[in-house]
Amino acid sequence: MSKLITKLLLPYVALLGFIDPVHAEGIVTDLSKHEVAIRSNFTGADILVFGAIERAGDSASTGPADVVIEVTGPETTETVRRKDKVSGIWMNYEATRFERVPGFYAVLSSRPLENIAPASLLKVEQLGFNNISFGKAWSSVLGGEENLRTPDEVAPFSTAILRSRAKDKLYVADSNGVVFMGDTLFRASIPLPASVPVGLYTVKVYLLRDGHVVDAISSPLLIAKSGVERVIYRFAYGQPFLYGIVAVLLAIFAGWTAALIFREH
Amino acid sequence: MQIYLPIAELSINIFLLLGLGGAVGFLSGMFGVGGGFLLTPLLIFSGIPPAVAVGTQANQTVASSISGALAHWRQGTVDLKMGLVLLVGGAVGSFLGIYVFGLLKSVGQVDLLISLSYVLFLGVIGGLMLIESVRAIIAERRGGGATARRSNHHNWVHRLPFKMRFRKSRLYISAIPPLLLGTLVGMLVAIMGVGGGFIMVPAMIYMLRMPTNVVIGTSLFQIIFVTGLVTVLHSVQNQAVDVLLALLLLTGGVIGAQFGARAGEKLRGEHLRLLLGLLVLLVGARLGYDLIATPDDMFSLSGGLG
Repeated sequence: MSKLITKLLLPYVALLGFIDPVHAEGIVTDLSKHEVAIRSNFTGADILVFGAIERAGDSASTGPADVVIEVTGPETTETVRRKDKVSGIWMNYEATRFERVPGFYAVLSSRPLENIAPASLLKVEQLGFNNISFGKAWSSVLGGEENLRTPDEVAPFSTAILRSRAKDKLYVADSNGVVFMGDTLFRASIPLPASVPVGLYTVKVYLLRDGHVVDAISSPLLIAKSGVERVIYRFAYGQPFLYGIVAVLLAIFAGWTAALIFREH
Repeated sequence: MQIYLPIAELSINIFLLLGLGGAVGFLSGMFGVGGGFLLTPLLIFSGIPPAVAVGTQANQTVASSISGALAHWRQGTVDLKMGLVLLVGGAVGSFLGIYVFGLLKSVGQVDLLISLSYVLFLGVIGGLMLIESVRAIIAERRGGGATARRSNHHNWVHRLPFKMRFRKSRLYISAIPPLLLGTLVGMLVAIMGVGGGFIMVPAMIYMLRMPTNVVIGTSLFQIIFVTGLVTVLHSVQNQAVDVLLALLLLTGGVIGAQFGARAGEKLRGEHLRLLLGLLVLLVGARLGYDLIATPDDMFSLSGGLG
């Protein structure tokens, strides 16, 4: 389905690319969907990013162009705890709280990032796992006083986030993820796992040439619970007291109905 | 077939949940126990966050206790006055338990609290069941029909002040022991999600000396209200009650319990208790092993401030 849409849309996207005369070189992109609904049968989704590189005038382009796609999910506070053995039992001991940790992060390119741009640029644009900023870091021991720490001091904790999220496929890096069709058309598929957090995402498409950013476009992507999941989730967080009462009534009704059914037998 | 659980926020196989509910329902039908103390650890083993497992289990216990409570109510085997005194204690205990739960959640120790509580209670209860059933089997082999002797002597319970008359139980005892018992069980419900019948029933028989015919009905009566209260408290404080999960477990549980009850009729009481004791010890040992074994990953993530 999404492939069909791309096929239908790509000519128009490509056409649009030639209309804008202002930039010497730029990109136009779009997503197959701007909204993903999480329902009870949600097992993940793929979002297609497609676009075209536009070259105005005589395109005496030098060197190959690169496209890097970065998807960032909603940022939240995240606490990482490290276990230690306390009197024979492994328990959470030291904790570090990071203020801004994206719930989802994907970076896709047509070749390895380090071949596309210098490390300094990747750092500034926060491209790649090693360059994501998690905001301020506060450390504490067993729920005690919190102290501000430098990124180097909490490196084991921030790499633990990267490791855990990569394992859950919430942080994705794919240096073959952007596929070119000819010189100007490109597409990429962003894999969203079932556990993808809800919220507003940003899909940023970079056009790079000779290690410089030539153009960049951001598109929003909304991931929201839908149907019964949305109703339950909203109810549980919006009206927790009423939700609890309804949960109890539902249990009483279900238990009572079950008893009636089996008494018939 | 995968199903997305809105509160646990993960996608899990629907047949795994129905199967878990069914298996534990089978056991609870066979042994005549609530089964929450087995289901909560099994949910944790299958990846449900411990807090959600506990909150949802409390909700599920309401449903699984209602039919028994209604049946006892109709038969008139509920000591309402005793039930209400236990309930007052249970309410106090629930609030205490939820407070401790929230406090430890904020410092990242709630999973440890849940695990330790389970290891302790599964170990003690499983061990006692095992010893008691082995003794009963040995006593029977020797030919002596040795049954547990219920002493008619007044114990320390009868020397406490604030005495109340419980007509249905034919007791005139202080309100303090049932209040304290209710409080203890209320705390267990809040921290472990279980109904607490495995503590309540023996304590009613051996400590309060209630007649056995009103024990189960009275216990179920207060369990419904206490687990109901705990469901509401967990919803408000932790948003940790997943109704979809509860309904799936319940569906499996109700069906499993029917078959379990039939299977249980074919086995002898001591042998049943021996089997259950072993099972309870096994689950406790697994939870205990997870506490002392070196974890695969020293680091764990928990969203928000929790």
